[in-house]
Amino acid sequence: MKIKITVLPVLIFICMNSYAQNKPSGFVKENYKKTDTLITMRDGVKLYTVIYEPIDKTKNYPFLIQRTPYSAGPYSDTTYPGRIGTNIALMNEKYIFVNQDVRGRYMSEGTNLEVTPHISVKKSKKDVDESSDTFDTIEWLLKNIKNNNGRAGIYGISYPGFYATASLPGAHPALKAVSPQAPVTDEFIGDDANHNGAFFLLDNFNFLNYFGKTRTGPLTDYGSEVFNVRFPDAYAFFLKLGGLKNSQSEKYFNNSSYIWNEYL
Amino acid sequence: MQKIFLIISWLCLVYNSQAQDADSSWFVSNYTKKEVYIPMRDGIKLFTSIYIPRDKSELHPVLMTRTPYSCAPYGDNKFAQIWKSFRFAYVKENYIIVTQDVRGRYMSEGVFEDVKPFIKNKKTKKEVDEASDSFDTIDWLIKNITGNNGRVGVIGTSYPGFYATEAALSNHPALKAVSPQAPVTDWFIGDDFHHNGAFFAMDGFNFYSSFGKPRPVPVTDYGPGFSSPEKDNYNFFLKAGALQNLASLIGDSIKFWHEMYKHPTYDDWWKARDARRGLYNDKPAMLWVGGLFDAEDCWGAWNSYKSCEAQSPQTNSRIVMGPWYHGQWSQEGSYLGNVRFGSNTSAWYQEKIEIPFFNYYLKNKGSDKSIEEATVFFTGENIWKTLTKWPPQNVEYKKLYINKEGLSFSSGNTNDSANTKTFFEYISDPAHPVPYTEDVHHGRTKEYMTDDQRFASRRPDVITLDMKIQEDLTLAGPVIADLVTSISTTDADFVVKLIDVFPDDFKYSDSGLNNGIAYPMGGYQMLVRGEIMRGKFRNSFENPVPFSPGMISHVKFELPDVAHTFKKGHRMMIQIQSSWFPLADRNPQKFTDIYKANDSDFQKASIKIHYGLTDQTNFILPILK
Repeated sequence: MKIKITVLPVLIFICMNSYAQNKPSGFVKENYKKTDTLITMRDGVKLYTVIYEPIDKTKNYPFLIQRTPYSAGPYSDTTYPGRIGTNIALMNEKYIFVNQDVRGRYMSEGTNLEVTPHISVKKSKKDVDESSDTFDTIEWLLKNIKNNNGRAGIYGISYPGFYATASLPGAHPALKAVSPQAPVTDEFIGDDANHNGAFFLLDNFNFLNYFGKTRTGPLTDYGSEVFNVRFPDAYAFFLKLGGLKNSQSEKYFNNSSYIWNEYL
Repeated sequence: MQKIFLIISWLCLVYNSQAQDADSSWFVSNYTKKEVYIPMRDGIKLFTSIYIPRDKSELHPVLMTRTPYSCAPYGDNKFAQIWKSFRFAYVKENYIIVTQDVRGRYMSEGVFEDVKPFIKNKKTKKEVDEASDSFDTIDWLIKNITGNNGRVGVIGTSYPGFYATEAALSNHPALKAVSPQAPVTDWFIGDDFHHNGAFFAMDGFNFYSSFGKPRPVPVTDYGPGFSSPEKDNYNFFLKAGALQNLASLIGDSIKFWHEMYKHPTYDDWWKARDARRGLYNDKPAMLWVGGLFDAEDCWGAWNSYKSCEAQSPQTNSRIVMGPWYHGQWSQEGSYLGNVRFGSNTSAWYQEKIEIPFFNYYLKNKGSDKSIEEATVFFTGENIWKTLTKWPPQNVEYKKLYINKEGLSFSSGNTNDSANTKTFFEYISDPAHPVPYTEDVHHGRTKEYMTDDQRFASRRPDVITLDMKIQEDLTLAGPVIADLVTSISTTDADFVVKLIDVFPDDFKYSDSGLNNGIAYPMGGYQMLVRGEIMRGKFRNSFENPVPFSPGMISHVKFELPDVAHTFKKGHRMMIQIQSSWFPLADRNPQKFTDIYKANDSDFQKASIKIHYGLTDQTNFILPILK
């Protein structure tokens, strides 16, 4: 599932876990140096990337990459998160963690596509997809980040799981291990948007109200949702809503969400 | 009527254990306990526990409870934990506290008879009833317990409430004040086992499989009842099927269960067991107490009071109805289920009504002027109203009609014609009855009478109609449902539910006592009152008649009194359905003796509820002006 909230329980669990392990709250800052940078893709579009390098330079480390449409923040070199990644053991182990806003989302340039189609035969530098963006990112990292051991891994849960899968075709030779977790895979047959062609109205109506908002350029916050409608009883709300096309009324999507338009 | 409520009525939770320790030692050091057998006029002896204050500075009144649920703990040196209840106030006032096992129960001699019929004109000493047993007990107490002031009060909740009513009928001159609370009154019409002839299978079965066990000799413990590994009561009772099968699960030894099955109509046997029968020329001061959301004996509280007013007008009789489940007035009273009352209604009742009532009539202390004829809590606006009459004088009865859009105080404008549909229709399928609550559980929940009804609105076999409330609307009294029906078979049940729909943005404040469960209250469909009517009794409970398939037939019945304010901006909703399972047993939807029906008798029925101009389904609402 690509709903942001599904990630939250994981975060909460990990926070509790870290508390149980009695980690000092400044662990990240004491052990990692954070750098925000823009990495240029082959077509000239720059992707916003946040890099956490272990302060201890006595060893070389592998890259562990997460590419996300849900923000790579917190943004700015001086703002540190409470923890990095979804698995605290990996943070303790020391990796060079890389979080990247995918093309067209948050602070990255370019245009976002829903579940970006893979281009199997790329004819020019203008033919880009998530595979080429991952390739270009890894290439840049190997050349620009010191103390790397020449190996990269990529992982992600939900929509970031799709970006993990999408790295696989034509993968960079330094990419050694990939873990797509609950990966968005086929939005018509079985995931999120449709199951065997039946539209999953409730999840998508709410998700795209948040996720489906368009932007005119890079930003750190998408602000309010597409429309402000709260309903205590989803059953009653959607029954009253009636035909799917009513979701495009002025009160709701009003044809303003590219993904919603495409779904319908 | 269930035993658990007797126990909790004495165990009002007081969390300060230090205070409890102090109170328990005070009780033990300032009282002595005696266990005695008191002889009745026919020679049978009833086991009685008496707690007597050591204080001799003045004479003390007696406060008695007669119970079928045991006056445990047994033993002269074992004290009941009254200090856990608000009723410890009576101990601190040095009342002589008496509990008695009724005839044939626990340690008393004799033969027990459920809701034993009152004998009006007793001719010999062999003719005994609960009134005579009360009389003989009171007489013995005032003659044998030294230091008593000659005044006796009787109090009891649920089944003991029935014994309180019967005690009042003894008219012993020393009996000055009686408080029947949630009194078991009529087990066919409105309490416990039946509502309007529909059998309340779940409560009955869970209660009676232990309560009804035979007791050849006095015992201190009856042992456990029927135990089922099934935790889903809907599934359990659906699988059990016809009532005959339920009877075979319970075994032959539970006599009253099988006796009930032999009386499928409101015959003389049932009428003899109506506690209202003896309510004439009632001498003691009466304080009837009940809960608006009492799943067991709400009907009994309202209707005993009303009968007392009608049949014994000279009696000094009052009623208190709070927003309570069965016995909640001795528990926390700030909320029930998801619904909040804004204050601790139980504590208010205890301090302002019950304790002053007994102190005045038994100790001549204080005044009874502050206790009005009717003290009723109105949910919705969450206030106590004190009234000189119930239902109040300024109530106007107004018809609320159904139409194809919902509800309206104006009668319909839809003419009956061949081309216009003027009815709602659903299929009532006994294999898929409408559940009475959304949750899965074994016992009947105590909250169901304020539950959110959205689960029912979603079913195709529930008619859900509503209208917006423009100005606050207060109901005070009974609601009459007049359903214009036609059905495809020869019998069916009809459940009517009156519901308050909260606004979509409704929220309780973060403060205030509640059940601790986060629940979406926006759009909440609060059950205010629900009642079932077994269709074949629509003309008479004594003589059931079948429906003629496809023919119009009125099903008119009364829902127990309502005290609720629908606030401006809320919606008033009515739901109509033909099952309420497993609260009530399923109607086979075939005109037959349901207690003898087979599984194969159960059939689907098409139910139509009509709203055409000539014959329009309506509800008569008691609107307080």
